Amino acid sequence: MSKKMKLKISTRLLKKKNKRNGFLSKQCRFCAHEENLGLMDYKNATFLRSFLTERGKILSSRISGNCAMHQRALSCEVKKARGMALLPYCAPHF
Amino acid sequence: MARYETLFLLTPEFTKGEFSSFESAVQKLIAEHAGSLISCERWGKYHLAFPVRRNDYGIYGLVRYEVSDERKQGLLSALKTFFAVKYVDSVMRSMTVVLSDKRSLEYHRPESLEDMPARDVDTFLKENNMEGLSRSHRRTQEPVVKSDVEKE
Repeated sequence: MSKKMKLKISTRLLKKKNKRNGFLSKQCRFCAHEENLGLMDYKNATFLRSFLTERGKILSSRISGNCAMHQRALSCEVKKARGMALLPYCAPHF
Repeated sequence: MARYETLFLLTPEFTKGEFSSFESAVQKLIAEHAGSLISCERWGKYHLAFPVRRNDYGIYGLVRYEVSDERKQGLLSALKTFFAVKYVDSVMRSMTVVLSDKRSLEYHRPESLEDMPARDVDTFLKENNMEGLSRSHRRTQEPVVKSDVEKE
């Protein structure tokens, strides 16, 4: 008789959470709507600002709902925009 | 053929006349390396997210060009030298990015200070329902006259 593979704790907890809040689980807005991919650009500072906290930090994917792939792409674009002074590294007067 | 774009940040004192000569110099440089200029746009004056070279404002510009794979290294290094050496006093930052063939050339940019409508103090106060603070309102108000009973 084959043994059932036990999942890692983090995966088990995530499944439990999604089962509980299935209708509340966030979807990646870039996966759901492909037209949003065009907005993810280092030149589009107004759109990227919505993914920063008031202190200028990049929001985690847990908060923004982005998938891992798009979160990486987004953080890359934010860092490019920061280099060109379109977005702040940190908020002033902190 | 590879497509590139370079976003550059100029000092706020850079005039429109100087920008046109800058644009023609960039166009000439691209043509020397057998490339073709797609577009060169002056975005306008922006308030920077943090001071750059002690300037709180700057003028952004975007140049897009196309070059063959054989000549791209030469053009990219020539442009880098152009920004870093020839226009070292004017160009504060520059960034070159490869453009994907799949994506369109449309892009969104933030609103510049030149695009925003100019507002004076009275317009601002009117929009925020603070008309009582404006000087013109205070001048038009009639002076308070005491009645005869109060005077006595």
